[in-house]
Amino acid sequence: MIAIVEPTEGAPAPQTADARVEQLKTMVSASRLSLYLSCRLKFFFRYVVEIQKPKTAALHVGSAVHSALKAWNKSRWRCEPLSLKRLHDTFMKAWTDQEQPVEWDGEEAAEQSTAWRLIEFYTRQANPTAKPDFVEVPVEADLTEHGLPVLIGILDLVQGGKIIDYKTSGQTPNPERVAHTNEVQTSIYSMLYRANTGKEETGVELHHLVKTKNPKVVITPLPPMTEQQQSRLFHLIEGYVEGLDRRDFLPSPGLQCATCDYLAECRAWH
Amino acid sequence: MAVILSMTYQKKLGLPNFSSHSCSVSLTVEIPDVSVAAQESSKLYALLQTAVDAEIQQVGYMPDASTYGMKQNGSNDHSSSGNGAQRSQPMQNRNGDAWNCTDGQKSFIQRIVNENGLNKDDVEASAQQLFGLGVKALDKMQASQLIEELLEKTGKSKGNRRWSRQPARP
Repeated sequence: MIAIVEPTEGAPAPQTADARVEQLKTMVSASRLSLYLSCRLKFFFRYVVEIQKPKTAALHVGSAVHSALKAWNKSRWRCEPLSLKRLHDTFMKAWTDQEQPVEWDGEEAAEQSTAWRLIEFYTRQANPTAKPDFVEVPVEADLTEHGLPVLIGILDLVQGGKIIDYKTSGQTPNPERVAHTNEVQTSIYSMLYRANTGKEETGVELHHLVKTKNPKVVITPLPPMTEQQQSRLFHLIEGYVEGLDRRDFLPSPGLQCATCDYLAECRAWH
Repeated sequence: MAVILSMTYQKKLGLPNFSSHSCSVSLTVEIPDVSVAAQESSKLYALLQTAVDAEIQQVGYMPDASTYGMKQNGSNDHSSSGNGAQRSQPMQNRNGDAWNCTDGQKSFIQRIVNENGLNKDDVEASAQQLFGLGVKALDKMQASQLIEELLEKTGKSKGNRRWSRQPARP
């Protein structure tokens, strides 16, 4: 079923929805799959109709922190130490590089301070001499032999064969819950790592940088992907492709709607 | 007639990062005759198991999986840690013209080099410095990382949109 929605004014002129859906069927990423599983209509708005929305403050903080950590990890990878000042410059450049408008609600200065404190805290407590294997590496894995599309993704950091993914969060994460809620992403990263190195990852770690008054880092170590998790992932990807084939873009009303950027479009859907 | 009873007890246990260690104890005793073999064997088994269990609790040296066997100061420590945590092994090409990465990655690297007038020796040196391998020996993941590095050097890195211009099908 295809959603009937009036295109939002100002949205880029899209290719036909059908052509876009066919394209989306050929490549899947963790964010696309997770969003489709979470709400098919939101997926439709974001990836098929490509309705642009202002960036949230939390997303901007996450992007800036991510950029700074990328620079820090790259410097370790190249064995070229990065001074605190240069790290701060990188962070500020990422912060001011606001391609999309950000909804600050008057909190930009406070958010910026929090983000920098997170970076400072993380880099201070991490081992600066450990050399990464890979930093922010874009990879893909062709799953056509399984009757599935190409997987794409970017691995934040691989160190000692361990895949590390950064998250910024407002709350201290519950280890068991994050293992489950991030399983699509961690399984995809494991698939990508294996397909591109021919080796099994030694594990996966989720590094949550928590934006509490006193910043903290919560590391959730996870074992290598199991065969059961791989099978589960393949079933989910299969469901994604079949869903797109059926043009299944039904909404999933629930608690997540409270913070959804597409609420107005969703309410207009019929 | 003296009867010789010989027994070996061995235990192998897994350790983090795909390591394992094992302990084995062997004992040979003389027993008066076969009628006591079962009884003696049972005692011997318990004795050996206790001995092995006591020893195998000592894990001994455990390398830091995040650093052991990793490249240090530009030179690879190629001694295998045996714990599975080492990064990609250096794979030497059997065929000097063969590339380990995909055809798409190979073409993309060549295109970046040609279009930007990069010196092939410099690119080769970069690969050696970063991975301890020549460009042709890089696996898919290493090639992908090298491409990112080259794009950054040539000012063409566009963040997270790489796959749209670099088909990496084998």
